[in-house]
Amino acid sequence: MTEERADYLPEHIREKLIHDPRVSEQDLRVEVREHRVLLGGNVATPQLRQTITEVATEMLPGYEIVNETSVVPAAEPDGEEPVS
Amino acid sequence: MIRIAAVGDLHYGDGSPDILRPSLQHLPDRADLLLLAGDLTRCGGPKEVQVLADQVRDLTVPVVAVLGNHDYHADQEDEVRRVLERAGVTVLEGGAVALDVDGVRVGIAGTKGFGGGFRGAHGSDFGEPEMKAFIGHTKMLSDRLEQALTALDADLRIALLHYSPIEATLEGERLELYPFLGSYLMAEAVDNAGADLVLHGHAHHGSEKGRTPAGIPVRNVAQPVIRHAYNVYTLDANRQVLPAAAGGIS
Repeated sequence: MTEERADYLPEHIREKLIHDPRVSEQDLRVEVREHRVLLGGNVATPQLRQTITEVATEMLPGYEIVNETSVVPAAEPDGEEPVS
Repeated sequence: MIRIAAVGDLHYGDGSPDILRPSLQHLPDRADLLLLAGDLTRCGGPKEVQVLADQVRDLTVPVVAVLGNHDYHADQEDEVRRVLERAGVTVLEGGAVALDVDGVRVGIAGTKGFGGGFRGAHGSDFGEPEMKAFIGHTKMLSDRLEQALTALDADLRIALLHYSPIEATLEGERLELYPFLGSYLMAEAVDNAGADLVLHGHAHHGSEKGRTPAGIPVRNVAQPVIRHAYNVYTLDANRQVLPAAAGGIS
């Protein structure tokens, strides 16, 4: 890998994840350290989080995928807000 | 008091689990209507939105939605809209609806809206055709929003958007993204027409609360921001509302 390629690799990975219909997530953070790819950000469901790991592994053979994304809670709200 | 449940950016995928289902059972006890602020799907597929449509079909409160940028991705936005409408959801784009809620007329004007940026740093429809098209789209949708809000005959008026009309509810997002997250033209439209509440989504890393320059409350209800299935906002239909031209709503 050339130096230039390493500079742009995180953005290329981010773009591919946005355009993969299994993921289509625009809010992922991507960092590459040596042969480790760190993924961060919020995802809607545990299933999507797992899918992101699978898609990234398939996309980046030879890299260790470290999925540090968080699943956003979606319980009922505790109360209501009067707005004025 | 009118109770409005709102959420955006649910991003349903084909076969994805239903995020709302457990909470929807109690929603009619907690709210008088449900407003959906766009990005209901991941890629804009009709099958994706079917998951949501099946969940809201039997709700006993009215459901009103706008679409978001993700809902346009597959170029099947008309079919996405039809799937929702078949489930009883009112889908707005540049139009408005007035609902009778316990004798109170609640008007909702909705549009996806679009980007461009904010005062002092807004793009202009100048130069290349692509730039003219970008800002021209925002201007057109903002003009329609103002017309729809102005024409609403209602006790309470709500603007339902996907893109943000103000910067305050983008706080937390990277500044470089602001032109792609919203436009002040929508705030100007709302301030010119007057409204009681503005709801939007789109900015997953933004903040929940803000106000337009004239003081109209704005809430970013993107699900990653509110971190609940929905939030509930209450509006008092009997309070004195000042016209925007008289200095805004406090």
